[in-house]
Amino acid sequence: MLPTFDDFKPFVITGLSLGGVYAMSGVGIVVLYRATGVLNLAFGAIGAMGALISWTLINHTSTPDWVAYLACVAFGGLVTLGYGLIFGPPLARRDPLVKAVGTLGLALILLGLMSWLWPPFGRTMLLPTADWGFDVDVVRVNVTQIIGFGFGVVLTVLVGAFLRYTKLGTAMRALANDREITATLGVPVRRVEAAAWLGSGLIAGAAGLLLSNLVALDAVTLTFLVISSLAAALIARLQSLLVTLVAGLVVGLATALLTPVLLWPSTEYSLSVFRGMAPFVIATVALLWLARRRTVSISRSGD
Amino acid sequence: MRAVVIAAVLAFVLVAVPSLVSVYWVKVATAAAIFSIVALGLNLLFGRVGMVSLGQIALLALGSWVAARLFFATGLPFPLVLLLGGLITGVLGTLIGLPALRLGGLYLALITLMLAGAISIVLTHVDFPNGGGGFLGHTEATVEYPDVRRPSIAEADDAYFRYTVVVTVVMFLLGLAYVSSKTGRAWAAIRESEPAALAAGVNITVYKLWAFALASFMTGVAGGLLAANEGKLYAEQFPTIDSITLLAVVLMGGIFSLWGAVAAGLLGKLLPALLDDWGVSPDFVIILFGIGILQVVVTAPGGLVDQVPKDLRRLGRLLARPLRRGESPPEQSA
Repeated sequence: MLPTFDDFKPFVITGLSLGGVYAMSGVGIVVLYRATGVLNLAFGAIGAMGALISWTLINHTSTPDWVAYLACVAFGGLVTLGYGLIFGPPLARRDPLVKAVGTLGLALILLGLMSWLWPPFGRTMLLPTADWGFDVDVVRVNVTQIIGFGFGVVLTVLVGAFLRYTKLGTAMRALANDREITATLGVPVRRVEAAAWLGSGLIAGAAGLLLSNLVALDAVTLTFLVISSLAAALIARLQSLLVTLVAGLVVGLATALLTPVLLWPSTEYSLSVFRGMAPFVIATVALLWLARRRTVSISRSGD
Repeated sequence: MRAVVIAAVLAFVLVAVPSLVSVYWVKVATAAAIFSIVALGLNLLFGRVGMVSLGQIALLALGSWVAARLFFATGLPFPLVLLLGGLITGVLGTLIGLPALRLGGLYLALITLMLAGAISIVLTHVDFPNGGGGFLGHTEATVEYPDVRRPSIAEADDAYFRYTVVVTVVMFLLGLAYVSSKTGRAWAAIRESEPAALAAGVNITVYKLWAFALASFMTGVAGGLLAANEGKLYAEQFPTIDSITLLAVVLMGGIFSLWGAVAAGLLGKLLPALLDDWGVSPDFVIILFGIGILQVVVTAPGGLVDQVPKDLRRLGRLLARPLRRGESPPEQSA
């Protein structure tokens, strides 16, 4: 039994705002992967820890709120940059799989630290933007949701333009193509990579802050929300920013729109309990489609 | 000589361990043995074929579910249920991994990570069989649920530990047989270079699928053992993060030797229990595993089973040097 369109309306808003943040995280993941070959699986954990730091600053110190929010974003940037500077160079020539496994080490360290410093307990992050809003028809839209959606779209455009038109962006694209030749051409490879790590980390911090408000402020939940962004990045084959944006929005929308759908008529189970599976299902179907013609190549990117 | 040492250690573990330690530690040791089978699956996948699965704990949960359902639904003998549970998990795991197997290694890791999340969502809602009816075999009606049964010859914890160790040994022998066969050589070729393997006539897709099926089969068997060890199963026993800590201990143990999987079982279950006993927070174990992953990928790809003997030999040489100097006659040293 399908619900009417009115039942779906509130979830379109939720879906688009979540999808925007997924897309934004996906863009952060793709940019770093293209520049350094590292798929950062600690992306969610970094944002989660930033959000928890922000929460502590707001609730246990007299820090102004905006400083606390900035601290979250800055934490994301610093941790990611620190990891990149320490572990980037020794792993630079390794397989992308090994590089990704390395970031799981960072994810575990952060998860352990978070569970130790902030034992699980119902914390909530209320950004002031959650109180500001307006009504569309019968649905309340708050500013956090608009920021979530807007950030996803704006960031994709900005990052795309940055890669296309700036010197640093061109250097990043060159790196993505061939690290050795780029170095030979006199591009300061380490510095360009550091910029990619920092940029991707700042996005991780911002995404963590938004998701802690839109979803929940919980270390494990936020860490594994990276799965939804990964689905978006995967569908884009870790290459296209535009496809990442669209895929992120689709994953967010699909996840949210399943909420009011009943599994079958006359049942108390709604599909909503299984909606978390949407990213997996969408990514699997997309991969099946993409893998229909397979080629074996010996490219150095290992993709 | 080596076989004699292994047999002696095994005999000691089988006979002496259960009588030397308390029931709690017997249970921990059983869990470690079961965990080493799961680790063996991932060890083979990563170390032999170069594929990483981040969904092995979800597959373990699936295996436990299938085995528990079979135990409650049928009166089949225990070993047969283990075998059937392993086969069904093998088929399910292969079907799920199929799309990603055709793509690169990174994609398999990501798809299996998503799969782990998806399976845990399903299991949280359908729950584990507890003797109820219907396909799902779960009921909320009864107050006292029956336990998943154990083999009639191994109902006590001591006997079940020995039973588990025997099954673990069988799984390791199966792994060893594969590694030293034509299949193992094909896997090695794929790990080194897929295009070269293809050019040499190795059917990459089939051998990769076979490795994935074998690892899933082993994980399914481990799931059956786990179901009977725990008695009652809950979704909370299989958190997604465990798939990552499994990868950590498998790497720390060492992926290029099957002994690494034994070390991984001990690291994964015995070490946290020991540290817990000494009052160390489990959070530090997770941090330790994270550091372990980074250390292995950066400096010690062979893991503990490769590094420890090397370090011991170096230590031995270091200690032996002053001794030799002291023993040598004065006219030679001059």
